[in-house]
Amino acid sequence: MSIKINIPSYLMPYTDDAEVVEASGSTVGQCIDHLIKQFPRIKKMVFAKDGKLLDYVSIYADGDFIYGDGLATPVKDGDELHLFYVIGGG
Amino acid sequence: MISEDDRERYDRQIMIRGIGEAGQEKLKQAKVIVAGGGGLGSPASIYLAAAGVGTIRIVDHDIVELSNLNRQVLHWDKDVGRNKVESAVEKLSQLNRGVKVEALEVTISEANVSAIVAGFDVIVDAMDNLPTRFLLNKAAIEHNIPFVHGAVFGLEGRVMTIIPGKTACLRCVYRGFTPQEKFPVIGVTPAVIGCIQATEAIKYIVGIGKLLVNRILVYDGLKMKFTEFTVKRNPDCEHCGKSSRER
Repeated sequence: MSIKINIPSYLMPYTDDAEVVEASGSTVGQCIDHLIKQFPRIKKMVFAKDGKLLDYVSIYADGDFIYGDGLATPVKDGDELHLFYVIGGG
Repeated sequence: MISEDDRERYDRQIMIRGIGEAGQEKLKQAKVIVAGGGGLGSPASIYLAAAGVGTIRIVDHDIVELSNLNRQVLHWDKDVGRNKVESAVEKLSQLNRGVKVEALEVTISEANVSAIVAGFDVIVDAMDNLPTRFLLNKAAIEHNIPFVHGAVFGLEGRVMTIIPGKTACLRCVYRGFTPQEKFPVIGVTPAVIGCIQATEAIKYIVGIGKLLVNRILVYDGLKMKFTEFTVKRNPDCEHCGKSSRER
């Protein structure tokens, strides 16, 4: 299944400036894994050393925020994911 | 009742459908706390004062540094080394003599947050760190005070309005803490976000329009794009969820 992953500007340096990355997979986690396969440097910005999603990163998919425990959420062809991270500056 | 002077000063906004003299009176009676007198707090408080919000309390514990001046437009070259709240009160009072501006030079903590926000109608979250934002979010829920969150990083920003007991809160969407570090920013980003926060506060006070509730607005200045994400209440939220209400 072909999924589009939207990359925020903050993370574009890790995707060779790609704003949208095409990925395949049947779950959110598989799509993120495919993103990392294409752009290995982004892994440290998404996953902690223990392999879990960083607790300040979430994935927005089909109207819901998905956190570390939701990577098995299924996706369907044509879905769009958004990488979302917490910011706190003022 | 608003005065003749008010009628002239606020003439253009009184013309806005839904504001009128009644809305202007609501703004005059309103008490807004702006937590943080920096990048976000500057534009937010400037536009709240210009709009005639009757009481504005600015809370900040910092002094003005030269490196603040690229974005914290309440503070000028002459203010370097001065308390931010003093500098803010001076500018806002000069901008609008009809507004009461209170300075609170304290560090917001778990021990004092409740006393700081009590009695206010709206809290504008203009902090520069997540732990304090979470303290304010929780206090807003406990005191049933609407909370307008804003945050920036580089050329990106976020805004979300929380109506306690009714809509998703900051903790529903932000589950973790980012590492505490010096963050990049240019003044135009908090200018955009702080003005949206002020807009939300004004709309809430007057009772017009559609608030940014149950959705978070993400601004990306590099792409010049606004994206809106739906936010749902987390039933297990430690601030507004069922278990927190039972405690």
